[in-house]
Amino acid sequence: MTATLNTPVTPVTDRTNRLTSTKKGGQMVADYWEDLFTARERGKQIVWYNGGALNPIFQAAGVAWCHGEAFAARLAAQGLEGPAQLAGAEHGYNAELCSYSRTHLGCAVLTVQGDEGINTGVVGAHDQAELASRLPAPDFFVNNYAGCSTGQQWDEISYRVFDKEVPIFNISHPFLWGNKPDSGYLKGEEWESASHYVRDQLLDLITWLEEKTGNPFDWDMLRESMTYIKKAAELRREGLELCKAKPAPATFWDWISAIAPINFLPGNQELVDYFQSVRDEIQDRVDKGISGVENEKYRVYFDGIMNWNKLGFLSRKFAEHGVAVLAGRYITNAFWQEPQLIDTEDPLLGMAQHYLLCPTNHGTKTLDYLTLRDCEEYDVDGIVFHSTRTCRAFTGPQRLLARSAQNNLGIPSIFFEGDVADASFYKEEILESRLAAMLEGIDVKRTQAS
Amino acid sequence: MSSGAAALEALRAVARDPRSHIEAWRSIHPDRKVLGVLPMNFPRELAHAAGVMAVIVPDDQEPVTEGRAFLPEFYCGYTRNLADQAATGRFDQYDALFVADHCIQLLGSADVVRALEPTRPVFLGQLISSMSDPWAGRKTTEMMVTLRTEVETFAGAAIDDDVLAASIRSFNRDRDLMRQIFDARTAGDTAFSPVELQDIVASAQIMDPDEHHDLLAQVVADRAPRTRDGRIRVHLSGHLCHAPRRELLEVIEEVGAVIVDDDLWTGRRYLQTGMDESLAPMDALAQWYGGRNTALPCPTRVQHDVDWDAWLLDAVRRSGAEAVVHLMPKFCEPHMLYYPELRSALDEAGVPQLLIETEHEGIPLESFRTRLEALIERTHRNRPAYA
Repeated sequence: MTATLNTPVTPVTDRTNRLTSTKKGGQMVADYWEDLFTARERGKQIVWYNGGALNPIFQAAGVAWCHGEAFAARLAAQGLEGPAQLAGAEHGYNAELCSYSRTHLGCAVLTVQGDEGINTGVVGAHDQAELASRLPAPDFFVNNYAGCSTGQQWDEISYRVFDKEVPIFNISHPFLWGNKPDSGYLKGEEWESASHYVRDQLLDLITWLEEKTGNPFDWDMLRESMTYIKKAAELRREGLELCKAKPAPATFWDWISAIAPINFLPGNQELVDYFQSVRDEIQDRVDKGISGVENEKYRVYFDGIMNWNKLGFLSRKFAEHGVAVLAGRYITNAFWQEPQLIDTEDPLLGMAQHYLLCPTNHGTKTLDYLTLRDCEEYDVDGIVFHSTRTCRAFTGPQRLLARSAQNNLGIPSIFFEGDVADASFYKEEILESRLAAMLEGIDVKRTQAS
Repeated sequence: MSSGAAALEALRAVARDPRSHIEAWRSIHPDRKVLGVLPMNFPRELAHAAGVMAVIVPDDQEPVTEGRAFLPEFYCGYTRNLADQAATGRFDQYDALFVADHCIQLLGSADVVRALEPTRPVFLGQLISSMSDPWAGRKTTEMMVTLRTEVETFAGAAIDDDVLAASIRSFNRDRDLMRQIFDARTAGDTAFSPVELQDIVASAQIMDPDEHHDLLAQVVADRAPRTRDGRIRVHLSGHLCHAPRRELLEVIEEVGAVIVDDDLWTGRRYLQTGMDESLAPMDALAQWYGGRNTALPCPTRVQHDVDWDAWLLDAVRRSGAEAVVHLMPKFCEPHMLYYPELRSALDEAGVPQLLIETEHEGIPLESFRTRLEALIERTHRNRPAYA
């Protein structure tokens, strides 16, 4: 008799009620990538960049852009990260290395190998056709990584994988540590000096791009693009604010679906229309009392960079327990989240400030302020920390944040392991058992309170 | 015991029990402060000139217990150990903590100190790490001025330029003496074992430079050169920020190797670069920082025209090393990123190599021994028949 290794699958009722308007964003993003894959054929120069959203500058410089983390995230979300990671491993990158960088460097290795890749014995021609051969090789690199020190080194290594033949520009970002008594979120001498330092580097980047492309920089295009992005960001903020309602009309997972558009799509009317539709759908749900999850019972804050392999799965898992995941550092405090800083006539300073506001570029003092503020405003019952295995930048402060939330607000929290772009680190049983335990604890607390 | 042996014993004691040394210093200098600094680029000369004892905080051999509650297990062992020191009161020896390097894991541990010891100043003076930028020199100079101001505020005393120049001379003198020993090892002298050399450098990272120099001078005077024998010559590469376990160094030599050079933090990386005493002191500090990555490239810096792999190949040629052992602290991302560059360069040059990942919480020594034995056997086969 042959034993079966099949694990019984319990059917899970999908209790999510995802926004329909975000599907449009998915199509816009798909169109963007298709456009990028054919950019070379249309005579476009291509920049690979990492970190903050420099795309408005590239748009005004007339080059096509590929955001490294976004491409790695896209591969992971589509289950296509394997070949790139295998190529990276074969090249020598350790599995404990940031999986964004590992995936992206694997793509770089495949791109350099080109047609020779078929002879490596590891990555097949079909996989290359799906991945690297579709990702055009770069004409330039630009590093714009704030917070995580790995980002800068990752781009330098990309530069080396391409034999130092692709020009690279690096923007240095001061970490907003909070040295001085006057320092804090959006304030203090540290904030002001860092903002101007980065702004000055953006000016140098623009000069550098003019030299490398041979084209004059289109300042009007930058102003126009940032006008659209500012409007889209304002609509996004309004939508996020509306999600404080009870029951929550939309969840963290809807906003995760809306990250790509705000993070790297061109600034144009289509982007504004998209966020207008998202915001309007949420308003409509608030007006009608429609919930983002069926029978919302718990409200939870999610801290951690996204597990792109498990996006849909996690949204269903939390909904299954009646959990509305409402806010999170990765959406609430990232991606043009302070649009009032942008002066559309002279946008560089506000852009620089947003790059500095990367949620991994703060000391824990500021993160603590932001987390407690959001937990109170969204009136959450608990925090779920995605202990993102290969992302030291996001995970470093998490234990301190959990301790502070418990001590200051009496909010419990749990941790579960996973990763941004490597599914092997996800531990389903750990999340399930810890989530159930935390929800039980919340029930007990409610019973005692009543 | 000879005076040299006694001096070496004193250095060894500091390296292995820095807490006692700091306590003893405090008892002698009750009105002076002790500053903890995190590796690898804070200029201790500034603190020394302000009358402050500046200690590069070492990891200790204690297992991580309470610290596990504050940093995830996939942070490097050194940073988890720092968190543990803070969580268990072992950081009490320091009046403040200064950081000059932008490593996200180091900052994580510094944040734990700040959270658990809210009255203890924790200052980040981030030195630019993108060394090819046109503004790198200017930003380095600006940050050195900031660091000076902060040290003065912490010490409660202004730093006199002449005193700073004297501090630079003191550290230079100590580094020079250590470099002589390392250069002698590269040239074929095996008078000092790798564990002794590590103790010498580790104690230098804690002690007053003059005190260290005087002890080391006695050690050197007492130790005759010893010619290298026919064992396989090995270069040790990596292990940034903290010391590898001593027993690991011993095993490498037990299996039939002799360590002829290294680029470890508790080795040549610490002492390779001196400060230019002909410059104004603040200029010397800035130039020192800029020059360190050229003198011995570090994967935490980005500099397009400087290559760790090229430096390593040159070092191998200088010392006649026949094999390279990479000592990589688990979860050290800069090292993980650059390792393929090193591996490729050595492969192309036909230099046998072995990667060993180390952890804070013990090491699988017998497993390492087997792998090292295999490396040594493989390297033996590379030797010409007449050798």
